Amino acid sequence: MTGLLLMLAAGAHAAPGSEEKVEQDAAAVVIHHVADQPFLGLIWSRQLVFFLVAAAIVLLLVRLALRGYRNGIPKGLAAIVETLVVFVRDEIAEKSIGHDGRKFTPLLCSFFLFILVAALLGLVPFPIPSHGRWSLVGVTSTANIMVTAALAVVSLLAQQYAGISRNGLWGHIKGLVPPGLPIWLLPLMILIEILGIFTKPFALMVRLFANMIAGHMVITVLLLLIPMLANVSTAMGIGVIPVSLGLGLFIMLLELLVAFIQAYIFTMLSAIFIGMYAHPAH
Amino acid sequence: MSPFSLAYLAAGIGAGLTIIGAGYGIGRLAASAMEGIARQPNAGGDIRLAMIIAAGLIEGATFFALIVTLLLAIMK
Repeated sequence: MTGLLLMLAAGAHAAPGSEEKVEQDAAAVVIHHVADQPFLGLIWSRQLVFFLVAAAIVLLLVRLALRGYRNGIPKGLAAIVETLVVFVRDEIAEKSIGHDGRKFTPLLCSFFLFILVAALLGLVPFPIPSHGRWSLVGVTSTANIMVTAALAVVSLLAQQYAGISRNGLWGHIKGLVPPGLPIWLLPLMILIEILGIFTKPFALMVRLFANMIAGHMVITVLLLLIPMLANVSTAMGIGVIPVSLGLGLFIMLLELLVAFIQAYIFTMLSAIFIGMYAHPAH
Repeated sequence: MSPFSLAYLAAGIGAGLTIIGAGYGIGRLAASAMEGIARQPNAGGDIRLAMIIAAGLIEGATFFALIVTLLLAIMK
C-alpha cells in the first residue's frame, strides 16, 4: 500500500505521456507498491525490516504484558494479551487438538500474535525514503510469499511432530490411511495422503500471502484511478477523487477485519491439522 | 492486437469466473449458517466458527485461481 503522495507523484510523471503509457505504467505501479524493495540502501529489504519489527513488537508486547500482573491480576496491556492468549488456548487449541492442546498453545499463540501484528503494521503508513523522495508506505511482511512459506513449514513440522510424538513413527504412518480400506485402494490412498501432508501447509501459505497482498493491491488500483482519469480530463480526475478515497478507506477498514480473520484462520487450521495427525481416525 | 491480448482476455474472464464461484460458494455457506442459527440460536457460536473456517477454505481455493489470473495479467 502507498500513501497518496506517491500515487500523485506516479500520476505526475505519467501525465505528459499518452494514455497507453499510463496503462502500461499502471501494472508496473501496482507491482512496484506491493513488491519488496531495497530499504535505505541496506542489504535488508523493506519487508525483512518490517518482519523483524513485527517480531520485536510481539516479543516486547508479551514481555511488557508479563510485568502488568499485580498479585495475579492483569492490568492494562496484560489484560489485553491475556484475553488473546486465553482465546487461543480455549477456543482454538483445546477445541481442535483436545486435552493435549495446551502443549501446542505457545506455538499457536506465536502464529496468532505474529500474523496479527504483521498485518496491522502493514496498515500503518511509515515515512520511508525511496527513489530520492519520502513516501508514506505501510509494509506487510506477510505479503512476501517466503515469509508465509516459513510459517507454513513451521506448521508442517508441528503437524508431523504431533503425529509422531503421540502415535510413534509406525503408528503415525499407519494412521495416515483410514482403517478398513479395501486393499486395492491402498496404493492410491497412500499417494493421496502423502500429497495431503504437503498440500495442507501449501494452502496455508498461499491463503495468507494472497490475503495480505490483495487488499494493498486493490487500494493501489483505486488510488491509481485518479491519475488515469486525470489523464483523460482534469474534471474527471477531480471528480473521481472522493470516490477513490472513499472506496480506499472502505478497503482499508476491510483489511483491519481481514488481519484478525486471517490470524485466526491460520492458527485455527494449523490447530485442526495438528489435531488431525495427533488423533487419526480409528 | 498484441501477442498478449489473449492472455489479458483470459485473465479478465478468469477473474470474473473465480469470483462467481467464490460468491456462490460463500453465499450458500452463509445462507445455510443463518438458517441453522435461526433454527437453533443456542448453537450460534459453534455454527459461526465452522462457517468462518469453511469460508476460509473456500477463499483459499479462490486465491489460487486469482493468483493464476494475476500472473496472466502481469507477466510480460
